[in-house]
Amino acid sequence: MSFKTASEGYVKYQGLGNWAFVLHRLTGLGVILFLIIHVLDTAAVYFKPDLYVDAVSLYRSPVFGLGEILLVLSIIYHGLNGLRVIYFDMINPDMWTIEINRKSVIWTWIITLVLWLPAAVVMGSHILEHLGG
Amino acid sequence: MTTKRVEVPQGWEAFAWKWMRYSGVLIFILAWIHVLIQDILVGVYQIDTSYVATRWSGGFWRVYDFLLLFFAFSHGMNGVRQVLADYIHSAGGRRALNWILLILWAIVVVVGTIAIFAFTPPAG
Ligand code: HEM
Repeated sequence: MSFKTASEGYVKYQGLGNWAFVLHRLTGLGVILFLIIHVLDTAAVYFKPDLYVDAVSLYRSPVFGLGEILLVLSIIYHGLNGLRVIYFDMINPDMWTIEINRKSVIWTWIITLVLWLPAAVVMGSHILEHLGG
Repeated sequence: MTTKRVEVPQGWEAFAWKWMRYSGVLIFILAWIHVLIQDILVGVYQIDTSYVATRWSGGFWRVYDFLLLFFAFSHGMNGVRQVLADYIHSAGGRRALNWILLILWAIVVVVGTIAIFAFTPPAG
């Protein structure tokens, strides 16, 4: 089987596609870091119920609320860009050209924002409703 | 950007490469539904022990959460492995990295899985 690859090392500047890759990497790392904590704090509901109550009340603080909004942005972007990469790699490798890559990156960012903005509004208004109590 | 076709030996790394892509498609469905329900529609202000008790009262969401845990965590940890391998070049260092991440992966998956299936609502 042969693979076609777009990346010859991300240190080498490759324009928008490179930014897409760097952001994919950062968002992936951010989400797995959160996921480790999240699995352990949710497991506390079984292993140590008091700790679970504390963890949830921490998540309800405004700072964590803002973090959650960024987390959702990360998952939307990483997921959409991931699907783009999967489609190019596995189904249509001929799309790995500078021009198509560029356009598809811009579309990925547009769709990410279109999906994220309403989510951010809903989550932001939840935070505001619960400010101060 | 130049592209070229390369022959890749069919070993573990090729499997890991494909794993990232197949699991990615699956997590795309599982994780987005999870985020839509838990973070956006329900929201953290309504999530507490009794919410979990309702959610895990049947088998469906337990199995769902287990699948999400297993696939997202395997995908994510293998991703961490790929990233760190870009900075660790010695064969011994990479072998150590693989073992450390495998052990961490196993601990978190086991702890999470026990909680998902052993949980029973607290009395009262
Ligand atoms: C929402 C659906 C998701 C899709 C479609 C997806 C897709 C992908 C793909 C295709 C790659 C390989 C990129 C490459 O080889 O260049 C990747 C890498 C990665 N993913 Fe995901 N992913 C998803 C969710 C997640 C989640 C939930 C996490 C965290 C738990 C995560 C963490 C990572 C990490 C850390 C990498 C390595 C990044 C790198 O090598 O630069 N992904 N993802």
